[in-house]
Amino acid sequence: MNSLNMLGDFFLSPVGINHYLGLSAILFCIGMVGVLRRRNVLVILMSIELMLNAVNLSFVTFSHFTQNINGQIMVFFVMTIAAAEAGVGLAIAVTIFKRFKEVNIEFFEQLKG
Amino acid sequence: MGADLFEVSVNLVKMIIIFVMMVQLVPLLVWVERRGSAFIQNRLGPNRVGPLGLTQLLADAVKFIFKEEFVPEKTKRFLFYAAPVVSLVPAAIAFGAIPLSLPINIEQFEMFGSTFGPYRFAFQSFEVGIGIVFVLGISSLGAYSMLMAGWSSNNKYSLLGALRSCAQMISYELALGLSIVGILLLYGTFDFATMIDAQQGPLTFMLLGKEVSVPFLPNWGIFYQPLGAILFFTAVFAETNRTPFDLPEAEAELVAGYHTEYSGLKMNMFYIGEYGHMMAASALMAVFYFGGYDIPFLSPDSVRETFLGWGLSANKAAIATAFLFHVSMFAKILFFLWVFIWVRWTIPRFRYDQLMDLGWKTMLPWALANTIITAIVIYIMRTNWS
Amino acid sequence: MDVSILLFYGLATIIVFFALAVVISDNPIYSALYLAITMVTLAFVYFLLKAFFIAGVQLIVYAGAVMVLFVMVMMMFDLKKEKNSFSKGKFANFIKVGSAGWLCGLIFASIMLSKGMLPLANTNTPQAVADTSTKELAILLYTDYIFAFELLGLLLLLIAVGAVAVSRIKGGTHE
Repeated sequence: MNSLNMLGDFFLSPVGINHYLGLSAILFCIGMVGVLRRRNVLVILMSIELMLNAVNLSFVTFSHFTQNINGQIMVFFVMTIAAAEAGVGLAIAVTIFKRFKEVNIEFFEQLKG
Repeated sequence: MGADLFEVSVNLVKMIIIFVMMVQLVPLLVWVERRGSAFIQNRLGPNRVGPLGLTQLLADAVKFIFKEEFVPEKTKRFLFYAAPVVSLVPAAIAFGAIPLSLPINIEQFEMFGSTFGPYRFAFQSFEVGIGIVFVLGISSLGAYSMLMAGWSSNNKYSLLGALRSCAQMISYELALGLSIVGILLLYGTFDFATMIDAQQGPLTFMLLGKEVSVPFLPNWGIFYQPLGAILFFTAVFAETNRTPFDLPEAEAELVAGYHTEYSGLKMNMFYIGEYGHMMAASALMAVFYFGGYDIPFLSPDSVRETFLGWGLSANKAAIATAFLFHVSMFAKILFFLWVFIWVRWTIPRFRYDQLMDLGWKTMLPWALANTIITAIVIYIMRTNWS
Repeated sequence: MDVSILLFYGLATIIVFFALAVVISDNPIYSALYLAITMVTLAFVYFLLKAFFIAGVQLIVYAGAVMVLFVMVMMMFDLKKEKNSFSKGKFANFIKVGSAGWLCGLIFASIMLSKGMLPLANTNTPQAVADTSTKELAILLYTDYIFAFELLGLLLLLIAVGAVAVSRIKGGTHE
């Protein structure tokens, strides 16, 4: 009953920090399911991007609600690193695809050498 | 919050008018392009239908609308239909965020028995504080339309054209972004209106901490950033996929690139998207380097005073001034649109490797150099050395 | 009813819907396009949170560059609908999805229970102007975080070299 009350509270109260954090949590978990369950390397990379975006959202939320701009700097860094990661990940995926005509994660066992 | 019904409705109407203005300019531009190309190539061009061939526009529009809606088999239908829309919307949004004239300050007035408070209407669809970043971000979404069109058509020429255009857009976005950093350093703002305000009056700059004024030149960005202006304009050609960078639609190799399979109204929407991007680019060029809506040697205040002197009320004078400056902005936009057309029919198309070499090996280093030199020069000039 | 509530729930619905579509869709190209929509919508959430510059950068970097790159690479591969796009094993899958759901519930509970623990600033102060907040961001980036910033530059250089090294073609198109 208590938790039900809490849920009601959540949806009826004006949009505040909790709502944005909740959205961020949902987004993160969707990304996590994607990483765990998909077998396509590119989709796994995209799910990681989704998780990074969720983290960014929580950074921006805290930054806004505590009026502290340091959080936005972190978002800046995360974005740069995400772009870099996408670049290298895609380069590796292209190389593997050229060799095996396949983007399934199982073929990445070949990387063991 | 002072948003009442009057303000909201005026803003809505304003948005619609600016969008319609953008769309309606397209047939005219097509006509200019056809006639202009004809004169450049020593031909006559369309001159049979109506005076100067102007009714040709109407005939073209009717043709586009009544053509059969043909969709090839095995296309990805949803993406096939969505692609033209995705090409049109970012162009419209980007164009809407650029101020086309002075903001209109309306004082309190009475209508229908009730008073309406003072308003400030910006002469643009909507105001975004981070103007440039927003416009660049939104117009970079145009790449999706090409990719969607190319892939969903299920045609290898379309796909090749889409991939080419996309690689090109990503490469030139770097040069585009870096070429305007000089302007950002110069004016210290992302906001278009502030930037244009800074370009009013005669050429005035700091020389080693002392203010120097050149009375016979306007205070436009082109005099501070000539290299940046050239780089920006070149990069914009690549971003809008116009000749000499129209590799995605190289007729000789790729039939018509990503819109090979399109016909009728869908094709027309691609046209509107392309010309919309051109308009946004021309407007940006005017704002960054040619003073936006500024008229050389004519300050908005003096114009308003003149109108007031003619016996107009304050509100009417404000509106008239805004429209006068809007004409100036529009003349600049039209000039750059003409340059787009002019270049298209003058310079032949690049080869693909030449295009990539130009983007990565020439424009990117020059843009970087421009940024660094601008930063150093601004620092030296604005410091008081005495 | 406040407009911001409507805006937030509208944007949140779009984000969650398309994020789910990214994970569920069989065709990786559609996944990438859905992810692009998610990113653009997130940019508008950042606008709601008055992080204007971050919103613009999100549009340029994520939606305009990273996702375009993804879509482009996938279209180059011309991937079709995948047959086994999900991992197999009922029990393992149950554990995977269950653990994600559990984590989600845990985070939610902790958000609820920690209500009021963080001293929140008054967000109703006069609207932060985009220009000044961007300036603050820049000053912070070049003073307190200068080493991290330089390190990022180094990282990007390394990544550029690495990407070229990984994907180079023997022979190549250029001399």
